[in-house]
Amino acid sequence: MNFVRHLSMVLWLLPVAHASADAHASAGASVYPLTVTNCGREVSFQSAPESIVTIGQSATEILYALGLADKVKGTSVWFNPVLPQFRDADAGIERIADNDPSFEAVVSKKPDLVAVQYELHVGPAASVASRDQFNELGISTYVMPADCDGKDNNATGGDGTRTAAFSSASIYKGITELARIFDVQDKGKALVADLQAREAGAIAHAARLELPEDLTAVFWFSSPELSTDPFVAGRLGAPGYMMDKLGIRNVIQSDEEWPTVGWESIAKADPDVIVVARMERRRYPADDVDAKLEFLRSDPVTREMTAVKRGHIVEMDAHAMSATMRTFFGLEVLADALSTMSFEQ
Amino acid sequence: MSSAIALSSRVRPGWRWLWLAPLVLFAVLIAGTAIGETSISLETIFKVLANRLWGAGYAVDRIDDGIIWNYRLSRAIVAACCGAGLALAGLVLQALLRNPLADPFLMGISAGASTGAVAVTIAGMGAGALTLSAGAFAGAGLAFGLVLLLAQAASGGRSSQAAGAIILAGLAGSQLFNALTAFIIAKSASAEQARGIMFWLLGNLSGVRWDDVVLAVPVALGGLLICLWYRRALDAFTFGTDSAASMGIAVRQVRGILITSMALVTAVMVSMVGAIGFVGLVIPHAMRFIVGSRYTRLVPASALAGAVFLVAADILSRVLVPGQVLPIGVITSLVGAPAFALILVRGMRKR
Repeated sequence: MNFVRHLSMVLWLLPVAHASADAHASAGASVYPLTVTNCGREVSFQSAPESIVTIGQSATEILYALGLADKVKGTSVWFNPVLPQFRDADAGIERIADNDPSFEAVVSKKPDLVAVQYELHVGPAASVASRDQFNELGISTYVMPADCDGKDNNATGGDGTRTAAFSSASIYKGITELARIFDVQDKGKALVADLQAREAGAIAHAARLELPEDLTAVFWFSSPELSTDPFVAGRLGAPGYMMDKLGIRNVIQSDEEWPTVGWESIAKADPDVIVVARMERRRYPADDVDAKLEFLRSDPVTREMTAVKRGHIVEMDAHAMSATMRTFFGLEVLADALSTMSFEQ
Repeated sequence: MSSAIALSSRVRPGWRWLWLAPLVLFAVLIAGTAIGETSISLETIFKVLANRLWGAGYAVDRIDDGIIWNYRLSRAIVAACCGAGLALAGLVLQALLRNPLADPFLMGISAGASTGAVAVTIAGMGAGALTLSAGAFAGAGLAFGLVLLLAQAASGGRSSQAAGAIILAGLAGSQLFNALTAFIIAKSASAEQARGIMFWLLGNLSGVRWDDVVLAVPVALGGLLICLWYRRALDAFTFGTDSAASMGIAVRQVRGILITSMALVTAVMVSMVGAIGFVGLVIPHAMRFIVGSRYTRLVPASALAGAVFLVAADILSRVLVPGQVLPIGVITSLVGAPAFALILVRGMRKR
């Protein structure tokens, strides 16, 4: 690891350390009426919402982490089992749908607030209902900033296109704003401080590894068919952030959140590390992490890749590859995995 | 059909050059192997081919070797087989149904394949064990069976009405299965799934490997041999089933064999590479202009032209937008739709 890289990591850690110390200070109570600007819209609250429905696992888990499970009347859009620490809280809450819920199913819970992970569910081309439709019924909506800050969800449809690199600040912003909306600011600050400490710890861990300067990686989420062009992480999403923070170059340079790229291009780029998503979903054969590993080791081209030959394959929770609270856990997983690998030629 | 045949009933000068066709096919296969998403030098490509075909023993990068041999060459061969199979299916259906607009997709096969693929992916049927291809094949077979049953019921066994009935039955089947596909997508597709499905519905050869070659080559060759075997019957069918019967052809039996075999060829090809349109429609018409209307020439010419067309379309799909592979169906339709319009206008004017 050269001096510049060390220095940049240390400089990056300084404000985090400062923020962590700051976060432990007691926060004041929220003042109502409260207005926040959320994904380009003003959302006002006369008091803390009493009932919530969530569309998206990330929003659900953040509310649980803020101790608000008793206010959650229904959840939807799940990728993986809930985090173990929230299992008991989640067990008593109705899961309206594993995937997209219907508008009426959400509304029938009479929520004060609908908390949303992906803008596509409530954006202009909403798959559930637009924010205006909820507003007309007196229901507020809050979209996690991680899915709209520095991201265009309207241009091409699909998973959206990042216009700026994902920043962990957008996760902290979502937690802090939800904490303000529900007047649990102390819990919000504590959660942010905890996550910041884990983030800084993972980055410091990687810095100590003295990784080669030109380390490269690819993140494989899934594929419609095992051998067909896979969905891999673009350079600006949560996986791009992880690679950037740990000093790794993404071999995929697309601004798309999850572009499809041919195995020919990936094999030619020959990344040092392959990160594969682990998920409960079984819609595509490649959803199964074992099927992914089997393909990598048996396909006549991918089995010749350096990462496959050296066993530099990291399994990571699929939800950590989205811009969520779990992104920081993914960062730790990757840093830990790198510490077990040797990159000497 | 009759107008298209009238246009080209004499032997065309292009026939004399048909012996060049295998060379053209070989050149296109080499081009399909040489051109891809990443750039690999021509020298490396010939070294890999020399190593693999003649054991030349050149030192080449193992990833380059794998890309050229396992990804690109297998892909080009499967593309050629699919192009040949779909073109033959179109040729036979146009002859049997005496309708210049007939092509494999008219029979509802493509719509059924799409429904099967979407059902497997989105509805989670099979939960990973059943692949998109298997779903597509099952859907294609189901749709084709339903269309045949409906056509038979509608025509009441009268051969004079069977050709018209099968077109209408195919139309009804296509609409039904398109609606089912839309229903399943509307019910529960996420953005990621919709994108995966859309890519498949428009045709995609990226997942093709040697396993597929093992299936595609015999199916395409089988289709070709059946068409060649029945070439004189096909000639007779162009003048109508009554004329064919008067020439001593067992009309129902031959028609049953030809339709079933071509439906099978289409279902296999569609299940492998997705729904690729316009090949079966355009290639037979184009070949009639070049080699005339005799099936002795039309059958091999259509198979070769279909093969060359689809390999060329696949190359275009990889190079048209740098850094991105377009669905091959987009290319075949972009070329096919104007060509089809030209055929339609010229055909109507000559009428």
